[in-house]
Amino acid sequence: MSSNGTRFDSMNNPLDRRRFLGRAVLGGSAAVVGATALGSLAPEAAFAAPAAQRPDGPVREPDLTKPDPDFAEGRIMSVGGSMLMVAGSDRTLHRIHVTAATSVWKLRPTTFDQAAVGDGLYARGVRLGDGTLAADALWLNIVNLVVHISSIGKDVIHFDHNGSRVIGHVVAGTTAAVYNDTPAVSDLSLLRVGSHAQVIGAWRPDTNEVDLATVYAAA
Amino acid sequence: MPSEIDAPTYTETTWFCCGTAWGPCGSTGRGACGTCNSGSLQCAWPNTSDACFDITRPDRCGDTALRRTCGHTFYITSRCNGNRVTVRIADCGPQTDLWCGERTCCSGLCATNRLMDLTPAAFSRIGSLSTGRLPVRVSSEGF
Repeated sequence: MSSNGTRFDSMNNPLDRRRFLGRAVLGGSAAVVGATALGSLAPEAAFAAPAAQRPDGPVREPDLTKPDPDFAEGRIMSVGGSMLMVAGSDRTLHRIHVTAATSVWKLRPTTFDQAAVGDGLYARGVRLGDGTLAADALWLNIVNLVVHISSIGKDVIHFDHNGSRVIGHVVAGTTAAVYNDTPAVSDLSLLRVGSHAQVIGAWRPDTNEVDLATVYAAA
Repeated sequence: MPSEIDAPTYTETTWFCCGTAWGPCGSTGRGACGTCNSGSLQCAWPNTSDACFDITRPDRCGDTALRRTCGHTFYITSRCNGNRVTVRIADCGPQTDLWCGERTCCSGLCATNRLMDLTPAAFSRIGSLSTGRLPVRVSSEGF
């Protein structure tokens, strides 16, 4: 079994997972080293194995009438050490702990030092007793847009998104296309003006521009 | 009008943002039910009303999608890792007929056509947002 499998098996119980992340946040280097050994910086890998499904112990079903307490969204106000201060779009203030076990995505799997003030953010983790969120995963500036392709340039694709123009930047070595159910390829030549697409990308804060990670389209 | 069979369905899911939000999501609003919020465990379903169905048209892909209205509870299981999330309908979508025949697989376990959109909070309980699409099992009766 892979190290990721080990990580999630050991935390099938949400109480174990909460204790683990709590220790990673509070326990200093030993806990962080442990987290590094068990975790992954790639979100896809981190989610490849089953997560907490509470095989024993009390079931903690979320209250569907309220926001998910183990999730946060907003924009980064400050970065201090391993703590993010995030202003939620609903004006909630989130304090998010990042550990060596936290997977970070910003256009591609990356490291926490790429987080910047002003970045948009989604975070999933475990809400600790002090109200902070210990993050399993951070997605910085990620957008998922259903668009129509309005023009295609050498390194830029213009999209129409709900009547607004979005400029998509092709990033060499990163941008990929998925045509129907084929594997991702770097060849974007099958994209067609006038057709629709789904775009996963990284927003450039305070602009209408995104760097393209994956474009899903019909061939 | 689509179908009568109320059995678990295998379908693709992706994610969408709604409610107050940053970036290109900032203009999305609260969705067809008026309650949609990216941080809540919610979903969009392509047959919440006649008007919704006229837009999404899952029937054009040969798919059946029972009428399910705002607040209906679905139980979603990822075919990639078995992770689960419970969600309630908060919006109309996805536009299924844009993606007829599209298929997503994990280790040979596949799903075809998009009948389900999840909020980021819901999607991130079962997979990485950077994945974009997942094959899932959808049930109204529990996991």
